[in-house]
Amino acid sequence: MKVIAIAIILLTGGLLIYGVEDMPGWGDPDSPASSHVSPKYIKEALGKTATPNMVTAVLGDYRGYDTMGETAVIFTAGIGCILMLRKKRKGEGD
Amino acid sequence: MLEYIISKYNFWVYVILLLIGLYAMVGKKNLVKKLIGMNIFQSAVILFYVSIGVKKGGATVPIFLGNAHAAHGHGHAIIDVASYINPLPHVLMLTAIVVSIATTGVALAVLILIFRRYKTLELDEIMKIRKETGV
Repeated sequence: MKVIAIAIILLTGGLLIYGVEDMPGWGDPDSPASSHVSPKYIKEALGKTATPNMVTAVLGDYRGYDTMGETAVIFTAGIGCILMLRKKRKGEGD
Repeated sequence: MLEYIISKYNFWVYVILLLIGLYAMVGKKNLVKKLIGMNIFQSAVILFYVSIGVKKGGATVPIFLGNAHAAHGHGHAIIDVASYINPLPHVLMLTAIVVSIATTGVALAVLILIFRRYKTLELDEIMKIRKETGV
Protein backbone atom coordinates (compact mmCIF):
# COMPACT_ATOMS: atom_id res chain seq x y z
CA MET A 1 0.00 0.00 0.00
CA LYS A 2 2.66 2.49 1.08
CA VAL A 3 4.98 1.36 -1.73
CA ILE A 4 2.27 1.91 -4.35
CA ALA A 5 1.48 5.36 -2.91
CA ILE A 6 5.13 6.44 -2.93
CA ALA A 7 5.53 5.13 -6.50
CA ILE A 8 2.47 7.13 -7.59
CA ILE A 9 3.65 10.38 -6.01
CA LEU A 10 7.17 9.93 -7.42
CA LEU A 11 5.73 9.43 -10.92
CA THR A 12 3.39 12.43 -10.56
CA GLY A 13 6.14 14.58 -9.07
CA GLY A 14 8.48 13.73 -11.92
CA LEU A 15 5.85 14.67 -14.48
CA LEU A 16 5.08 17.95 -12.66
CA ILE A 17 8.75 18.94 -12.39
CA TYR A 18 9.16 18.10 -16.08
CA GLY A 19 6.16 20.35 -16.82
CA VAL A 20 7.46 23.32 -14.80
CA GLU A 21 10.17 23.77 -17.44
CA ASP A 22 7.58 25.22 -19.84
CA MET A 23 5.93 27.56 -17.31
CA PRO A 24 6.68 31.30 -17.36
CA GLY A 25 8.82 32.77 -14.57
CA TRP A 26 7.41 34.31 -11.40
CA GLY A 27 5.59 37.57 -12.13
CA ASP A 28 6.36 37.69 -15.85
CA PRO A 29 4.10 40.44 -17.33
CA ASP A 30 4.32 38.87 -20.82
CA SER A 31 3.27 35.38 -19.71
CA PRO A 32 0.56 33.75 -21.90
CA ALA A 33 -2.05 34.04 -19.15
CA SER A 34 -1.52 37.81 -18.87
CA SER A 35 -1.15 38.65 -22.56
CA HIS A 36 -4.00 36.83 -24.33
CA VAL A 37 -7.52 37.91 -23.24
CA SER A 38 -6.78 39.46 -19.87
CA PRO A 39 -5.75 42.95 -21.23
CA LYS A 40 -9.14 43.19 -22.95
CA TYR A 41 -10.96 42.59 -19.67
CA ILE A 42 -8.76 45.05 -17.77
CA LYS A 43 -9.34 47.78 -20.36
CA GLU A 44 -13.04 47.25 -20.99
CA ALA A 45 -14.41 46.12 -17.63
CA LEU A 46 -14.86 49.62 -16.22
CA GLY A 47 -16.42 51.12 -19.35
CA LYS A 48 -18.81 48.21 -19.95
CA THR A 49 -19.92 47.36 -16.43
CA ALA A 50 -19.19 50.56 -14.42
CA THR A 51 -17.66 48.39 -11.68
CA PRO A 52 -14.25 49.51 -10.35
CA ASN A 53 -13.37 46.02 -9.09
CA MET A 54 -12.45 43.90 -12.12
CA VAL A 55 -12.87 40.60 -10.27
CA THR A 56 -16.43 41.54 -9.34
CA ALA A 57 -17.13 42.78 -12.87
CA VAL A 58 -16.08 39.45 -14.39
CA LEU A 59 -17.73 37.34 -11.69
CA GLY A 60 -21.04 39.17 -11.61
CA ASP A 61 -21.41 40.53 -15.15
CA TYR A 62 -19.41 38.57 -17.70
CA ARG A 63 -19.84 35.26 -15.87
CA GLY A 64 -23.19 35.96 -14.23
CA TYR A 65 -24.76 32.69 -15.34
CA ASP A 66 -21.78 30.78 -13.99
CA THR A 67 -22.19 32.45 -10.62
CA MET A 68 -25.88 31.52 -10.67
CA GLY A 69 -24.85 27.91 -11.31
CA GLU A 70 -22.46 28.19 -8.38
CA THR A 71 -25.33 29.08 -6.06
CA ALA A 72 -27.11 25.98 -7.41
CA VAL A 73 -24.04 23.92 -6.43
CA ILE A 74 -24.09 25.32 -2.89
CA PHE A 75 -27.86 24.75 -2.66
CA THR A 76 -27.49 21.14 -3.80
CA ALA A 77 -24.71 20.52 -1.29
CA GLY A 78 -26.79 22.00 1.53
CA ILE A 79 -29.87 19.97 0.59
CA GLY A 80 -27.71 16.84 0.38
CA CYS A 81 -26.26 17.43 3.85
CA ILE A 82 -29.75 18.01 5.30
CA LEU A 83 -31.14 14.84 3.70
CA MET A 84 -28.18 12.76 4.93
CA LEU A 85 -28.01 14.09 8.49
CA ARG A 86 -31.66 14.68 9.43
CA LYS A 87 -33.29 12.59 12.12
CA LYS A 88 -35.48 9.84 10.76
CA ARG A 89 -39.18 9.90 11.66
CA LYS A 90 -40.80 6.94 13.40
CA GLY A 91 -41.69 4.14 11.05
CA GLU A 92 -39.26 5.31 8.39
CA GLY A 93 -36.72 2.73 7.24
CA ASP A 94 -32.97 3.28 7.43
CA MET B 1 20.88 26.32 -12.71
CA LEU B 2 20.35 28.05 -9.36
CA GLU B 3 18.85 31.04 -11.14
CA TYR B 4 16.43 28.73 -12.99
CA ILE B 5 15.32 27.20 -9.68
CA ILE B 6 14.85 30.60 -8.02
CA SER B 7 13.00 32.14 -10.99
CA LYS B 8 10.30 29.46 -10.70
CA TYR B 9 10.32 28.92 -6.95
CA ASN B 10 6.52 29.30 -6.66
CA PHE B 11 5.99 26.20 -8.81
CA TRP B 12 8.26 24.06 -6.61
CA VAL B 13 6.15 24.98 -3.58
CA TYR B 14 2.96 23.95 -5.38
CA VAL B 15 4.50 20.69 -6.58
CA ILE B 16 5.42 19.81 -2.98
CA LEU B 17 1.97 20.80 -1.64
CA LEU B 18 0.22 18.83 -4.38
CA LEU B 19 2.32 15.74 -3.68
CA ILE B 20 1.58 15.96 0.07
CA GLY B 21 -2.13 16.06 -0.73
CA LEU B 22 -1.88 13.22 -3.23
CA TYR B 23 0.08 11.05 -0.77
CA ALA B 24 -2.54 11.66 1.92
CA MET B 25 -5.31 10.69 -0.50
CA VAL B 26 -3.61 7.51 -1.75
CA GLY B 27 -1.44 6.32 1.15
CA LYS B 28 -3.46 7.05 4.30
CA LYS B 29 -6.09 4.63 5.59
CA ASN B 30 -8.12 7.08 7.71
CA LEU B 31 -10.96 8.63 5.71
CA VAL B 32 -10.69 12.03 7.46
CA LYS B 33 -6.99 12.15 6.57
CA LYS B 34 -7.90 11.37 2.97
CA LEU B 35 -10.36 14.30 3.02
CA ILE B 36 -7.74 16.66 4.48
CA GLY B 37 -5.37 15.48 1.74
CA MET B 38 -7.97 16.43 -0.86
CA ASN B 39 -8.23 19.89 0.70
CA ILE B 40 -4.44 20.34 0.58
CA PHE B 41 -4.50 19.24 -3.07
CA GLN B 42 -7.18 21.82 -3.88
CA SER B 43 -5.27 24.53 -2.02
CA ALA B 44 -2.16 23.76 -4.10
CA VAL B 45 -4.14 24.15 -7.34
CA ILE B 46 -5.77 27.39 -6.13
CA LEU B 47 -2.40 28.91 -5.11
CA PHE B 48 -0.93 27.84 -8.46
CA TYR B 49 -3.66 29.64 -10.41
CA VAL B 50 -3.47 32.81 -8.30
CA SER B 51 0.30 32.97 -8.74
CA ILE B 52 -0.14 32.85 -12.53
CA GLY B 53 -1.90 36.23 -12.41
CA VAL B 54 0.97 38.03 -10.67
CA LYS B 55 2.79 40.74 -12.65
CA LYS B 56 6.14 42.19 -11.64
CA GLY B 57 6.91 45.89 -11.92
CA GLY B 58 4.46 47.92 -9.83
CA ALA B 59 1.24 46.13 -10.72
CA THR B 60 -1.41 46.36 -8.02
CA VAL B 61 -4.70 44.64 -7.14
CA PRO B 62 -7.26 44.60 -10.00
CA ILE B 63 -9.40 47.42 -8.60
CA PHE B 64 -9.63 50.61 -10.63
CA LEU B 65 -7.93 53.44 -8.74
CA GLY B 66 -9.24 56.97 -9.13
CA ASN B 67 -12.56 58.51 -9.99
CA ALA B 68 -14.66 55.79 -11.55
CA HIS B 69 -17.40 58.18 -12.65
CA ALA B 70 -15.00 60.45 -14.54
CA ALA B 71 -13.47 57.50 -16.39
CA HIS B 72 -16.78 55.77 -17.10
CA GLY B 73 -17.54 55.75 -20.82
CA HIS B 74 -14.13 56.82 -22.01
CA GLY B 75 -11.97 54.68 -19.76
CA HIS B 76 -10.23 52.92 -22.63
CA ALA B 77 -7.41 55.43 -23.00
CA ILE B 78 -6.74 55.87 -19.29
CA ILE B 79 -6.35 52.31 -18.01
CA ASP B 80 -2.80 50.94 -18.23
CA VAL B 81 -2.79 47.14 -18.46
CA ALA B 82 0.65 46.79 -16.87
CA SER B 83 -0.45 48.53 -13.65
CA TYR B 84 -3.09 45.91 -12.70
CA ILE B 85 -2.49 42.21 -12.09
CA ASN B 86 -4.46 39.65 -14.09
CA PRO B 87 -8.01 39.41 -12.60
CA LEU B 88 -9.13 36.27 -14.47
CA PRO B 89 -7.34 33.61 -12.34
CA HIS B 90 -8.82 35.23 -9.23
CA VAL B 91 -12.33 34.92 -10.65
CA LEU B 92 -11.83 31.29 -11.62
CA MET B 93 -10.43 30.46 -8.18
CA LEU B 94 -13.41 32.07 -6.44
CA THR B 95 -15.53 29.51 -8.30
CA ALA B 96 -13.11 26.72 -7.37
CA ILE B 97 -13.20 27.71 -3.67
CA VAL B 98 -17.00 27.52 -3.70
CA VAL B 99 -16.93 24.06 -5.27
CA SER B 100 -14.26 22.87 -2.80
CA ILE B 101 -16.36 24.05 0.16
CA ALA B 102 -19.39 22.19 -1.24
CA THR B 103 -17.47 18.94 -1.78
CA THR B 104 -15.90 19.15 1.69
CA GLY B 105 -19.29 19.66 3.33
CA VAL B 106 -20.92 16.74 1.53
CA ALA B 107 -17.90 14.52 2.20
CA LEU B 108 -18.02 15.29 5.93
CA ALA B 109 -21.73 14.43 5.99
CA VAL B 110 -20.99 11.10 4.26
CA LEU B 111 -18.22 10.43 6.81
CA ILE B 112 -20.69 10.98 9.66
CA LEU B 113 -23.03 8.41 8.07
CA ILE B 114 -20.15 5.93 7.64
CA PHE B 115 -19.15 6.37 11.28
CA ARG B 116 -22.73 5.82 12.46
CA ARG B 117 -22.96 2.51 10.61
CA TYR B 118 -19.47 1.03 11.10
CA LYS B 119 -18.31 2.83 14.31
CA THR B 120 -14.91 3.46 12.71
CA LEU B 121 -13.32 5.64 10.00
CA GLU B 122 -10.35 3.38 9.21
CA LEU B 123 -10.72 2.06 5.68
CA ASP B 124 -9.19 -1.39 6.34
CA GLU B 125 -11.45 -1.97 9.36
CA ILE B 126 -14.50 -0.95 7.32
CA MET B 127 -13.54 -3.36 4.54
CA LYS B 128 -13.03 -6.15 7.13
CA ILE B 129 -16.50 -5.54 8.61
CA ARG B 130 -18.02 -5.49 5.13
CA LYS B 131 -16.35 -8.79 4.26
CA GLU B 132 -17.43 -10.47 7.52
CA THR B 133 -21.05 -9.35 7.43
CA GLY B 134 -21.47 -9.47 3.67
CA VAL B 135 -23.07 -5.99 3.58
